[in-house]
Amino acid sequence: MSREYRKWVAEYQDQAWTLARYILKDASEAEDATQEAFVKLWNHRDNIDPERIKPWLMQVTRNHCLDRLRRRKPETEFVDYQSADERGPLHGLEQSELGNWLKRSIAGLKEPYRSLVVLRDIQQHSYEEVAGVMDLSLSQVKVYLHRARKQLREQLAEVRP
Amino acid sequence: MKEFENQDMEAIEERINDLLEGRLDDGEAERLKREAQADHELATAIIDAYQLQRAMSELSIERAPASLRRRLKKIPAQSRPAWQQPRWVMAYATVPVLALAMVMMQPSTPSASELEQARQDLAVAFAYIDRVSVRTTLTIQSEIGSEMSRAVAEPILESINEQEIL
Repeated sequence: MSREYRKWVAEYQDQAWTLARYILKDASEAEDATQEAFVKLWNHRDNIDPERIKPWLMQVTRNHCLDRLRRRKPETEFVDYQSADERGPLHGLEQSELGNWLKRSIAGLKEPYRSLVVLRDIQQHSYEEVAGVMDLSLSQVKVYLHRARKQLREQLAEVRP
Repeated sequence: MKEFENQDMEAIEERINDLLEGRLDDGEAERLKREAQADHELATAIIDAYQLQRAMSELSIERAPASLRRRLKKIPAQSRPAWQQPRWVMAYATVPVLALAMVMMQPSTPSASELEQARQDLAVAFAYIDRVSVRTTLTIQSEIGSEMSRAVAEPILESINEQEIL
């Protein structure tokens, strides 16, 4: 079973970490939340359907992140994705700048939009998987995702040269 | 974007997303394209959505830092019950060793059957000793008796003999 666990770690640690990083916007907290999720995975490994390890892990990671967000003081705001260049994509929309701007914009979305965009648009999970992770219906996932993308599009339109 | 505004916004968003994700059939896609040609704002919305989708797909999944990788690898070992932790295993291993040592140092206590056997052996030994003792006593008495009589008689006889000689 330890071998199975090592396989899961190799396959999913980056995805869980990326999700935690976007939600928490703090590398140290994201590490802790990811570790908590994997501890839970290890402790419940016998009770989880092997076919559903990934969505289960993503859901637990997200829940741990949301718990941490709730425990934060209201004024605490992390800007982990802040780049040195604050100008965003205004200056020529170079790909790296667009990437940095986009990361900040995604991190600035409210939940559940932020998680939806990370899971679907960055990590390319299927709609069904996203629905499972987020505990939402398929139609809710679609509607929320449209709204999230629309918000990002509107922000992009504001800064477009 | 008059037509766009008149329609349900959610439905338009859904159509744009379906277009980008390849879920619109050919007829639907062609209809949306014609609408976009006639509606600049709808066209811009589609182009923005496409740009955004492409940019997001280029945001790679970040590699977990080495410190986190190490932490995740250690979880199985750290999640063992306390008594299975390496330092506790050593501590617990000394307990039976000490117990064994104490048992070996203590004088052994004979069992009931061993006691009974010893009792029987002792009885046989005493019986043997008694028999030997009786024989020895008789032998000694007879030996001592003859010696004693000889010791008493011999000097007397010698004395008589000497007087007769004189």
